[in-house]
Amino acid sequence: MSEAQAQSPLKSPDCAAWLDEHGDYLYKYAIFRLRDETAAEDVVQETFLAALKAYEKFEGRGSERTWLVGIMKHKITDHFRRVAREAPIGEGEGEGPEHNELFEQSGQWTGHWNADHAPTDWHATPAELIERTDFWRVFTDCLSPLPQRTASVFTLREVDGLKSDEICEILNISANNLWVMLHRARLHLRNCLEINWFKRPER
Amino acid sequence: MADNAYDKLKHSIRYWLLRKLPTCQQTVEKISQSMERRLTLRERIDLKLHLWICAWCQWYLEHLQIIRDTARAKGAEPPDLNSASASALSSEARERIKRKLAGES
Repeated sequence: MSEAQAQSPLKSPDCAAWLDEHGDYLYKYAIFRLRDETAAEDVVQETFLAALKAYEKFEGRGSERTWLVGIMKHKITDHFRRVAREAPIGEGEGEGPEHNELFEQSGQWTGHWNADHAPTDWHATPAELIERTDFWRVFTDCLSPLPQRTASVFTLREVDGLKSDEICEILNISANNLWVMLHRARLHLRNCLEINWFKRPER
Repeated sequence: MADNAYDKLKHSIRYWLLRKLPTCQQTVEKISQSMERRLTLRERIDLKLHLWICAWCQWYLEHLQIIRDTARAKGAEPPDLNSASASALSSEARERIKRKLAGES
């Protein structure tokens, strides 16, 4: 910020301090949802720029951080919209792995769980899991092999709790498409978490 | 003896149902869809019966619910700034954004 700007009668925030105070927070919020460093940095930048333009409207009502997160939510949605527009579905990526190996492929029990891959008791509750930082590392790693769009659908639905039709509208996909992607994401993530977290003896 | 006969009958019913009903692979897809839309009556009956006799699919349903509840709770709470595993804004990105903001303000 230039000297003239700092002394301007229009109360604009001290950008450097602003970034120091909220930058990491916003970045963590974004990276958890986008899983892409460049995209997360871009969204943080767009959020601060939009906030700077709208600063007069904020007028110190409520918490600055809550206000910034509110702006960022829109910027993340815009990001998903843009990606969906630039790379329409059906070009190069599928919905995700089918994981047929989890089920019997022949014999009288074809299509039923293979005993080696069948779900087991997790002995866990959301309240315990949310406290475990290392659980979120495994969670993020488990999402990473999924196609970007499938992981995005999962995050919008299961982390942000958007409604199915809102997600279809943002990503420009059909309901059927959404169901397939969510199913593939859940099947993969559940299995991956079971192997890498719930069955690990030392967790 | 009676217990034995009862167990045998239970086993036969279970076996017969498993052969008649949609497979586990088809059922887990319906379990996922049940979290997105109202299933048809036929789908609901098949799912209920399948879950009644299949502990594995019961766990599957419970796990999807645990994943949803945990992820939504995580999404609603502020990011953990102290966690070492989660990355922070790189110094290059920080400088770039600072310059951009200074240019715009």
